[in-house]
Amino acid sequence: MRFDQARPFFTLGVILLAWLLLPAVVKRFVRLSFYELKAPVDIAASYAGDLQDFWSQKTRTNNELISAARDLAAINASYELRIREDNRLRTEISRLEELLRLPSYGEFRSEPARVVRRDFNAWWQRIIIRKGRNHGILAGSPVIYSGGLAGRVVEVHATTSVVELISSPGLRLAAVFDGDDRPVSFQGGVNPPLRPAQGLLEFVPLDLFATAASPRALVTSGLGGVFPPGLTVGQVVQLDASTDGLFKTGRVQIDDRLGRLTEVTVLVPLDPSVVTPADAAP
Amino acid sequence: MSAAHSHERSGTLIESHRGYDPRLWVFYGLAVVLLCTLGGGLFYQQLMRADLHREKETVQSQRRIVVPGPRGNLYDRDGRLLVGNRPRFAATLHLDELRADFRREFLRIRRNYREADDQNIPSSAELERIARVSIVKGHLATINRILGTKYTVNSDTLERHYRQQRILPYLLLEDIPPADYAKLLEQLPVTSPLQLYTSSLRDYPHITLAAHTLGYVAADDDVVVDETLPGAELRTFKMRGTVGRQGLEAALDARLQGQSGGAIYRVDPAGYRLQPPLEQRRPVQGADVVTSLDLDLQLAAERTMTEIGLAGAAVALDVATGEVLVLASKPDYDLNAFTPRLSAAVNADIQTRGAWMNRATQGLYPPGSTFKILTAIAGLRAGQIRPDSSVECTGAYQVGGRVFVCNNHRDRGTITFPMALEKSCNTFFYEYGLKTGIDALAAEARRFGLDRPTGIGLPYEASRMFVPDPAWKLARRDEKWFPGDTANVSIGQGDLALTPLQMACFIASFARGETLTPPTLLHDSARPRLHTPEIGLTLAGRAAMLAGMEAVSQTGTGRILQTPSYRVPGLRIAGKTGTAQKRTPEGTLNFAWFIGFAPAENPQIAIAVMMEGDTPGEDTGGGRYAAPVAGAIFKAWAAKTGFIGTTPPTPSVTP
Repeated sequence: MRFDQARPFFTLGVILLAWLLLPAVVKRFVRLSFYELKAPVDIAASYAGDLQDFWSQKTRTNNELISAARDLAAINASYELRIREDNRLRTEISRLEELLRLPSYGEFRSEPARVVRRDFNAWWQRIIIRKGRNHGILAGSPVIYSGGLAGRVVEVHATTSVVELISSPGLRLAAVFDGDDRPVSFQGGVNPPLRPAQGLLEFVPLDLFATAASPRALVTSGLGGVFPPGLTVGQVVQLDASTDGLFKTGRVQIDDRLGRLTEVTVLVPLDPSVVTPADAAP
Repeated sequence: MSAAHSHERSGTLIESHRGYDPRLWVFYGLAVVLLCTLGGGLFYQQLMRADLHREKETVQSQRRIVVPGPRGNLYDRDGRLLVGNRPRFAATLHLDELRADFRREFLRIRRNYREADDQNIPSSAELERIARVSIVKGHLATINRILGTKYTVNSDTLERHYRQQRILPYLLLEDIPPADYAKLLEQLPVTSPLQLYTSSLRDYPHITLAAHTLGYVAADDDVVVDETLPGAELRTFKMRGTVGRQGLEAALDARLQGQSGGAIYRVDPAGYRLQPPLEQRRPVQGADVVTSLDLDLQLAAERTMTEIGLAGAAVALDVATGEVLVLASKPDYDLNAFTPRLSAAVNADIQTRGAWMNRATQGLYPPGSTFKILTAIAGLRAGQIRPDSSVECTGAYQVGGRVFVCNNHRDRGTITFPMALEKSCNTFFYEYGLKTGIDALAAEARRFGLDRPTGIGLPYEASRMFVPDPAWKLARRDEKWFPGDTANVSIGQGDLALTPLQMACFIASFARGETLTPPTLLHDSARPRLHTPEIGLTLAGRAAMLAGMEAVSQTGTGRILQTPSYRVPGLRIAGKTGTAQKRTPEGTLNFAWFIGFAPAENPQIAIAVMMEGDTPGEDTGGGRYAAPVAGAIFKAWAAKTGFIGTTPPTPSVTP
């Protein structure tokens, strides 16, 4: 009678013990299998969300849709213009690189991806995107969005990938102040969820200045070998001299849009060695 | 009967268990004493000696790491950086985070040996060592992969570090260039035991500029720990710091040294630290110092000295305050070669070139004809020289049985006092030096402080300078003083030996009409004008001297200052050249001198330059080799101060 009452606890204990005693390889296999098994559910939920958005758009009036279409056309036109400008600049850069015999940066292939959800396991500083190994995504690939650099792919599964956002303390990169060429260390801060994210700056040369009233743009340096140069990381809003007198430390305000990502683009390098060093994806 | 008997027995038994047996009291007492001893001991150990035990526990289980503070910066008088710090990037490995890896690697290697049934299996200690090297190699391989390098692990260094300093991070790679640092920053995981470490390295942006004056630092393993840093009683591990060894780096070491920071960690019995630290304090940079040096003037002086290509020294002083504007010595050395450590090859090179010595403060040279200014002052004050004094110069002057020559000019005949200065006529100064007498000359030299160090505050300033006189010669050489000795001293020859800095102070004092100029290398914009005892010359006497000295730079031995390269329109320079001789086993070497100040009517900057001739027998004249350096400094000074001459320069001396 008393054993019958304790049986559920006993069973739980036996299962836990069995799990503890399982070899690490088996545990990892089980975890990955479970993740892959669960992935379609996440993706289905994501598609359902898209459908929900679609039906909510259906409720709009024709006038609203016509107005939105006009706005979209204007935006498209401006993007067309930018693409042409970019092409011109790209040609110019190639010409200069050839002229100065400079090495060319790694070429990337763009892979747009829908955001499935934010991963609460990492305090919402990771996102899961709807593209994975089947789409050629590589671990370590940079991920961008309309506001600049979003983060870096840290896990790749068959149909999904996990992206560590630049707001995560686990992501560190070599950045530069826009217009300067000296690398500084950027690392995501300890950011509570659902609040504007911030990052931390270290090793900032003493002759650089920035305040909240006069912020300076921080962009990727391209020196680290992972992120291409010139991607916006955020705005430097505070710089303080460290007590050792060697550098300044600072605070970077990250674009609010990073907190409500719905669509990102993965820059998959054509040369996989560019982004897959030994520890690119811990 | 039996009942009575049984009662009797019963009573005896009861009595025996009542404990009234007096023998039991002995045991009770003993037990109480023992208990009291135990209780007392417990009380004593737990309460009375609690602090001691706590301290012992702390000392045994806690370690302190001391990190030296970066040194303060040195600036020139306009706030331009002369000496600073630059970051030094390194990759370090925290061994305490690799304990599990070490253990796993140890078990793997041991298993491999056993599976291979190898009879020569190393001892456990040796296997542990192999495991450590293997793991560290793995991490270095990560760095090599990222950077495309082929660095290797020094197993001896690793083992020594593990045995002696395992609480400190192990330095895997040092002096990483910024580009490689950026790669590691981006590609090493944030949580890796491999971490990037930044320390400061002394940086000299102007490389060799004012090398002897600024000085250098050397590595210091015994960093001075700030007294306010807690944990003085703990076993302390110190990161390497630096200490000033030469120049201002040494002289101002106490001010420049930063305040050490550090952290206190709890360690496990194996000596590995446990995170997070119990206490942590960041190091603080040392105080910055604004020196009196003027970067523009120093650059002008050194550039010209380098063009001339001889060893030498140049000193420029602010006449009013004694602040040193230029303090240069050639040959010099690259100050950046001293950090992080001086290589044997560079050391040998500096030694070979004779560049270690700061010729401005340590070099003792006969002042030659520049000393004639002091002879003139002594003669004027003694009443032996008057503004209208003159001699007949024939090119030779007999003193006792010895003939002294005057080859400094070709004008034979009457030489007036100002002309004697302009042409640097030896005959005039033989004549009036002898009339003035060695005692008056020596006393005047001592009054100007030429017999003692200037007290500039730089290490190793020469202290064996002297002003020879009969008493000195008798004491030093047990010889009698001859009139010829006085003649020699009158023209700055003989045993007289002074530093260029002393001569700069002397001419600055003369420019102010005073006798002493204590030089300083620290700038203070509110520093008051110096006031020292006056020379005591008559107006006419001083005017005659100034006329002669101004003529030196116009038409005399220093007329090179009027060439387009050095001429500053409207700037009146009063100076004196000199060419001193020194006999060496290889032959007679010349030392070219120039001392002077400007503007003559309102002195603001005083200069002394000395250049060493490098070829025995070669005529290395002050007008040709030393005056150009002074000219470059005057020109830079005029350009910097926006000097506009108000009085057109006119030759003041006529034969």
